[in-house]
Amino acid sequence: MKTKALLAAGLAATSVLALGACGSSSSGSTASSGSKSSDSGGNQTLAIYAWAGEIPDSVIDGFEKETGIKVTVDTFDSNETMIAKLATGKSGYDIVEPSQYAVQLMVQRNLLDTIDKSKLEGFDNLNTKFVNPSFDADNAHSLPWAWGTTGILYNEKCTGGEITSWSDLWDSKYKGKIYMLNNMLSAYIAGLQVQGLSATTTSQADIEKATTKLLEQKPLLAGYNSDNYADLVGSGDACIAEAYSGTTAAKAVQANQDVHFIMPSEGGTLWTDSFSIVNGTKNQTAAYQWLNYTLKPEVAALLTDDGSLATANSAALDQIKNEDLAKSPAVYPSDAQLAKAEFIVDPGEALTYYQDGWTKVSAS
Amino acid sequence: MDRVVAWFCRLVFVFLYVPIVAVVVYSFNASEVSYRFTGLTTHWYSDLFHDDRLLATLRTSIVVGVLAALVATAIGFLTAFSLARFQVKGRAFFLGAILIPLIVPEIVIGVSLLEVFSSIGMQTGILTLVLGHIVITLPLATLVQMGAMAALDPSLSEAATDLGATGWITFRRVLFPLLRPSVLAAFLLSFTTSFSNIVISTFTSGVGSTTLPLRIYSSLRTGLTPELNALGTLLVLFTLVVIFLVGVRQMRRILA
Amino acid sequence: MSASTATAPARGLRAPARGTLLGYLLLLPAVAVIVLLVIVPMAVIARQSFALSDPLLGGTMGGFTWDNYAKLFDPVYAKTMGYSLGLAALNAAVCLVVGYLLAFYISTRPANRQPVLLMLVIIPFLTDFLVRTFAWITLLGSGGPYVRIARALGFDASSLVPSQFAVIMSLLYAFLPVAVFPIYASMRAIDPSLREAASDLGAGWWQTHRRIFIPLSATGIGSSIMLTFVPTLGVFVIPVLLGGGKDPLVGNLIVTLFTEFRNEPMGAAMSMVVLVLMLASVAVITGLLRLLSIRSNRRAA
Repeated sequence: MKTKALLAAGLAATSVLALGACGSSSSGSTASSGSKSSDSGGNQTLAIYAWAGEIPDSVIDGFEKETGIKVTVDTFDSNETMIAKLATGKSGYDIVEPSQYAVQLMVQRNLLDTIDKSKLEGFDNLNTKFVNPSFDADNAHSLPWAWGTTGILYNEKCTGGEITSWSDLWDSKYKGKIYMLNNMLSAYIAGLQVQGLSATTTSQADIEKATTKLLEQKPLLAGYNSDNYADLVGSGDACIAEAYSGTTAAKAVQANQDVHFIMPSEGGTLWTDSFSIVNGTKNQTAAYQWLNYTLKPEVAALLTDDGSLATANSAALDQIKNEDLAKSPAVYPSDAQLAKAEFIVDPGEALTYYQDGWTKVSAS
Repeated sequence: MDRVVAWFCRLVFVFLYVPIVAVVVYSFNASEVSYRFTGLTTHWYSDLFHDDRLLATLRTSIVVGVLAALVATAIGFLTAFSLARFQVKGRAFFLGAILIPLIVPEIVIGVSLLEVFSSIGMQTGILTLVLGHIVITLPLATLVQMGAMAALDPSLSEAATDLGATGWITFRRVLFPLLRPSVLAAFLLSFTTSFSNIVISTFTSGVGSTTLPLRIYSSLRTGLTPELNALGTLLVLFTLVVIFLVGVRQMRRILA
Repeated sequence: MSASTATAPARGLRAPARGTLLGYLLLLPAVAVIVLLVIVPMAVIARQSFALSDPLLGGTMGGFTWDNYAKLFDPVYAKTMGYSLGLAALNAAVCLVVGYLLAFYISTRPANRQPVLLMLVIIPFLTDFLVRTFAWITLLGSGGPYVRIARALGFDASSLVPSQFAVIMSLLYAFLPVAVFPIYASMRAIDPSLREAASDLGAGWWQTHRRIFIPLSATGIGSSIMLTFVPTLGVFVIPVLLGGGKDPLVGNLIVTLFTEFRNEPMGAAMSMVVLVLMLASVAVITGLLRLLSIRSNRRAA
């Protein structure tokens, strides 16, 4: 009997929790079939599939308030799983936020709609650096939203001085206190640039040189980590780490004045995440309303204020309220720092050379 | 020796709750970074209560977890019972097949389920999530209950039959009460397995059905917030309180 | 796994001659789930393991090739496989010892306390896996209590993250409930009078366990080993967050193949190899358990 009672109590508890959570989710992402409603009519919905943390709640709330459209946001953790979901053709999403190389792949697989520029307002607000990018000529399928860099995060107390170059990630002084990003192409950025090679190379010889360099580095590493390296640098468990700019870097720099984010003298790289319209969406109108809404300077500025990320909208820069973030090198590296930064694109057929190399590095 | 075991097990319980204590303590940490404790705040709790989107994912996880665990436990019970009580052919093959989801890395199951669902034109959502979670919880539920059935003394049911009880009555009065703890164990294990799954959910969730672990995993890139510690604290406290209340009521009933 | 194949005919709920049809009927729901949601998807994977990969776009191009398997003979993969199997065996062994003792302890508590103890085992797992993992990182990291306490006691301690110790400990933590529950379920169903008889006979602790509890809970023990050994291969977050990510497990490798490498066919081939290897080890474990149970039955007879 006791077991039964307990089982019943457990069930009751879980259902109460469910109801509680249900009651409080008044707006926002309710579990419903997102894209079933048609363009006309008041009950419009918009289903967005995006990187976590790249669309602040304030942006969604503002959009819902202004347009009356109900927005559902789901988040993904890698471009590849996102593409797998969209490739089914029945994902139900209207707007998606791929990274630059993913835009290339998705266009080739016919997963994205062409964006009709005549329906856009505020396209000129975008930073020219990200307009007409190599991965998507004339922004036919993507509108840049967030951008960032791959550089170095270090703890000055631990390194004992300023860090300026990728080669510091190969300095045996810091043995056991160095982290690299746990991602093939990111690791190769450092491996290539440290030898003066381009991070976008497709040459087999170059890639093999980088592989040798990465193999040489592995004994010095504490590990490969893309998740909590900023905490590790902050706490001093790591002296120096290959790192992405943006939210976590900004947080780490803010929390500890010894922590700095820099672009290496060899260049570093740039990335962007853009909004695209999913091919076959039934909510075209709402999708364009979303694109236009996020092109507004005051909306794009929220990405920095509430998301600690750099906006690709030049006109938004004046509208950022948080001066610290607007000036933080962990969010907006200076133009001088960005001068040599390379724009990472899909390596295409050279991917196999990277894979062969990375397999060796992982297993060594 | 039994006393040594008892002390050892108490230590194991401590071990189980050490990180939970840390979660509770850090849910009150004023600092946003975990390597530093700068003072007390209830800030993260108020953040949590206002985070409708996070709470919606919690609701999805609970609904999916309860449904998947109920179905898996029920099917697992029938399966274990049948395999233990009847001489069915092909049991080795059958058990091998039921184990496959444990063997194959989840990403493979996830990818292949997504392909199967999309090839029959099924849109991903709560239903596909539940189906995906049944796949990974069924082996657990079956194995746990099979263990209990295999250990049951056969003379019990023989005795009951000798006394003239029908099959159904033997099952209900004699066998089921003995099996009940294993049913509870199977349900709990299935629920928590579903509740914490990341990979299968990645591939089987759809519009508006992001689960809590999925949301947390994808937010790793921008850093976990102490708000999640607050949520973990509340979930554990809530369950403890319910169990305590039920426990007290039962004791009263026994004493009365 | 057919530990019960070994034990059921000898003991357990003996199969009556009648009602076999009912037996098959009871299996129907499971058969439906297995065929539709396990066999069919696995057939898709098996097919893909022979397909040509599309290195540019990801996905598969159809066709037939043995290449995906041939590439797996690279010593690079063998090394990862060996390391994973070793870690899985170690994890299963640690979980078995701790899980067995805890299951025995719980099953000897008063009947009304047992469900509460069972709940206590599972409650920590209501907090999210990553939240728990990060709690361990904080506890074992350089700013955490472990280092502070050890230093206060005069030891020269440093952060335990990343380390092999942290990996094994967090694997034990993650798999403990799965190790405890099947053994508990078996123990719970053991006739209490056997327990009393054993203690009345004055048999020692180890004797009682070797002669009575271990053989009678053999199915549960088998399940427990299987549920801890097998899934360790697929673990991919723990080796990165607590182990530093320098020694990937098979799980990490397959995830990389499916995502970063955009090589589904090779990921599929790797999965098929893992599947075959695991089914083989399951057969070995089952065989060992069968021997154990036959021996104990003979002794009992």
